[in-house]
Amino acid sequence: MTRARKASIYVALVLLAAVSVVPFLWMLATSFKHGHDIYTKVPNLLPVDRKTGEWAATLENYDYVLNVGGLGRAFVNSVWVCLILVPAKLLIDALAAYSFARIPFPGRDKLFVVLLGGMMVPTITLLVPRIHVTQSLGMFDSGWGLIVPNIASVLDIFLLRQFFLSLPSELEEAALIDGASRMQIFWRIVLPLSKPVLAVVTITSFLFHWNDLVWPLVVLNDPDLYTLPLALQQLVASPDGGRAYYIMAGATLAVIPVIGVLLVFQRRILQGIAFTGLKA
Amino acid sequence: MTAPVLEGRKEVAARPRRRPRRRTNDRLVGWLLVTPAVAYFAVFLLYPALSALYYSFTDWNLRSAASWVGLANYSDLLFNDVKYPHFWKSVQVTLQYTLIAVPLTMVAALVQALLVNSIRRGANLFRLLLFLPVVTAEAAVGAIWRWLYDPQYGLINSVLGLVGIPGQNWLNTPELVIPALAFISAWQCGISMIIYLAGLKGIPGTIREAAIIDGAGPWQRFWRVIVPMLRPTTFYLLVTGVIAALQVFGLVYVIFSGSGRSVTGGPEQSGLSYVLHLYLFAFRYDAMGAACAMSFILLIFIMIITALQFRFVKQEAS
Amino acid sequence: MSRVVVRGAAVAVLVAGLAACGGGGQGSGNEKTLTFWMYQDRTPQAGQVIEKVRKDFEKANPGVTVKLVKIPKDDYNTKLGGAVASKSAPDAGILDQPLVSKYALDGTIKEVPAGLIDESAFYKGALDTNRAGGKLYGLPADQTCVALFYNKKLVPTPPKTWEEMKATAARVHQADANVAGMNVPKGDGYGAWMFPGVVHGAGGQMVDDAGKKVLFDQPPAVEALQLWVDLLKSSPRKITDSDKPFENGLAAMTISGPWDVPTIHEQFPDLDFGVAPLPYKTEAAGNIGGEDSVVFSTSKNADLAWKWLVFLTDAQNNGVIADAFGGFPVNLKAQVVASGPEQAAFLEQLKVAHARPAVPQWIQVNDEIIAPALESALTGKATAQQALTDAAGKTRSLLGWTG
Repeated sequence: MTRARKASIYVALVLLAAVSVVPFLWMLATSFKHGHDIYTKVPNLLPVDRKTGEWAATLENYDYVLNVGGLGRAFVNSVWVCLILVPAKLLIDALAAYSFARIPFPGRDKLFVVLLGGMMVPTITLLVPRIHVTQSLGMFDSGWGLIVPNIASVLDIFLLRQFFLSLPSELEEAALIDGASRMQIFWRIVLPLSKPVLAVVTITSFLFHWNDLVWPLVVLNDPDLYTLPLALQQLVASPDGGRAYYIMAGATLAVIPVIGVLLVFQRRILQGIAFTGLKA
Repeated sequence: MTAPVLEGRKEVAARPRRRPRRRTNDRLVGWLLVTPAVAYFAVFLLYPALSALYYSFTDWNLRSAASWVGLANYSDLLFNDVKYPHFWKSVQVTLQYTLIAVPLTMVAALVQALLVNSIRRGANLFRLLLFLPVVTAEAAVGAIWRWLYDPQYGLINSVLGLVGIPGQNWLNTPELVIPALAFISAWQCGISMIIYLAGLKGIPGTIREAAIIDGAGPWQRFWRVIVPMLRPTTFYLLVTGVIAALQVFGLVYVIFSGSGRSVTGGPEQSGLSYVLHLYLFAFRYDAMGAACAMSFILLIFIMIITALQFRFVKQEAS
Repeated sequence: MSRVVVRGAAVAVLVAGLAACGGGGQGSGNEKTLTFWMYQDRTPQAGQVIEKVRKDFEKANPGVTVKLVKIPKDDYNTKLGGAVASKSAPDAGILDQPLVSKYALDGTIKEVPAGLIDESAFYKGALDTNRAGGKLYGLPADQTCVALFYNKKLVPTPPKTWEEMKATAARVHQADANVAGMNVPKGDGYGAWMFPGVVHGAGGQMVDDAGKKVLFDQPPAVEALQLWVDLLKSSPRKITDSDKPFENGLAAMTISGPWDVPTIHEQFPDLDFGVAPLPYKTEAAGNIGGEDSVVFSTSKNADLAWKWLVFLTDAQNNGVIADAFGGFPVNLKAQVVASGPEQAAFLEQLKVAHARPAVPQWIQVNDEIIAPALESALTGKATAQQALTDAAGKTRSLLGWTG
């Protein structure tokens, strides 16, 4: 790669990153601002006094959301839900996706098409019948009611299936001839080769459930069980759209674990696939 | 954990009798592996979808018993513009949005992924930064973009002013609303980007090297190696992107609703997406029956579009 | 092997943790739990006030636990709709004023028992928002309204009439072309919600009292819409479409409610503003808003629920409760907590405030028919008369009315 090309790549990346980062910085800055410093004609990306321009950061907003807003308990609830839900869902989805991608069983493709169809019904319409089902299973207003109705995802199965399809099949065929069972192949060949996509699914499903508001809203009544997005919603006075600084403080706290998960799993995405052992 | 593990397994199976048993075995294992997902699907998707289908033939306000009206909801939605004056408008809005947002988002995601993939130093950092729009709180996203598009102070108008383009009232001019929304969706392309990145990592180095040895330049390599090898990923992003765009709701809601703002989808209904319209009928106008009918009209449409994509878009890598 | 054990243990711990956070103990014996749904707290102070009232009630009624479920306002009706549909509605809860008649007509909420309250102790306008078919189905919790906010630097004395308002707006815009005279409402759901108040100001109505006749194609409504169209000349949207134009000093006047007063004081301490009753043409008028509270038919503790609602609206508690909800008391004897010159204007306005039409489909008419009609006049695509005549025709066909 020539120097000029390399430089232009970095310039492009810096520009794109700047656009991405500005709203995030604004959220961060707002979370440290006093109420009267929030509205400036040109948004200020630092917590400074509106008039004097001097540094005027405060921790009051964090103090409020943690002590009054009940964010601490909601945080713990959200962690529990995601710790159980995300891995369980990943396993169920990956098993199904592998079967759809590689194991020829009768009715497979038809079944897959039916599943895809399910993905296409707008979830808003399914909300009320889903509440019914959750109630009749006795999971309403409980932690299980957050987990079980979300324990698989057609979207993820579809993504994993596409990835498994893109893996070179020679390796698996060789293993089959060598007498390995399907499960052995799944655990020992397919999953290790699929780390990038598994990481993607983990990140996206964690992100979705960490931020999901609608389902916890309808299925939970007990404030002790509230998840983070529900607790965050409680912080805002609605009609005036006013206290942005509380929401931003809560949102900043909520984003920390997300970035943690991202840092851990994005490495996996980069790991790539070792094809060296494959060449036959 | 990868391929070398297989070396030790060669002698395990008795080869001659393997084939027929494999087939019955596959049948069993295949079904076994999909059972949990299928069970979930039946209980939490299929059953709710079937009850929604039933409700689509009824007049139901969520409170009293649903009363059977046959196909009336469907025919009224399609033909009765007194009862549903904005139904076709919402279809038009959604199609326009899909046509602009999906390609824009996919191109943005691919460009970002290629850029990040082509560097070593700082790749982790840039990937994280480019992903931030996805994790930023929705409230912040709504607020910041309303500011960026602000007719008085907005950064976008200032930048356009530098190159001599007059400022626009972006979110309040019906013709500009859809492009403005599509641009936000492209800005939030982080998930598509990491999916493309995973796809790029899946391209065997050997193929790339072979192309270089053949003397292919970067442009040729892109079209002859990267694009074909990314086909399963592109296909996935296209299909799911179209489905998501046809169901767009959250973005419109964040930009136009809440906090005393309009709930009716922007100036002259120019941001009234299909699912926002559906949501209003389901939970604001007490017409769950009609809302269910809307979702099945959408379902049929999505199915046709998706079937066409499966039929005419190449999905296997080559 | 040990890894498997560790993993198993981890799963067991997770499951145990989840079970622990899922098991809410139910009271037994003669203990009763009353569930009440309400909007999220507006402020931390409001939360404390409501908590104190709740404890007072429990003290006065031994063995009773009141469980308050606080729900984000924007999502309240979605959650309530789902709960009612799946027969899991609470004992009692807040209900948006225009929903009371709908819920009453299909038996989702209970009628107020005879003799429960002394009706003369309440503001009539607020109590009337709970009526459907001549019967009473709930108690008001608070009441509120919108009024004219004006920037004292740009508008030294607030206009009283439409003509004064137009003149003031024109003067402001002439003095500085970058400042709009008035933040004119738009043709959206919110604008359509404010519109009836203006129509009443010209002596008109949206529909007749019997709820059988569309009246918003008559002269008062047309004049009201023409007022907004005229105001746009001195209030370009390019200016007022900016974020918070009034607060940022870009619009000299705007229409809003009492909830905005503390927010502006807090976030825009430099803005010198006042609040005055809405300008009118022939008679002072405005809209009434606020929250009602109702008992759901599925409640097993209806008597207790009514007791709680009466407690919230009695002379002693209603003042603080209404203030916590962001409005004014509905009980004539209750103390108005909010003070300050702004509040006086709202109280003045409340005296002449009208309830929205008690037509079950009104929200839909508001959003889908009236809002677009207003917008087509405001953008000059139709005259005020054309737009409203067209909208009235559509409303008649939708509701099946002949008048």
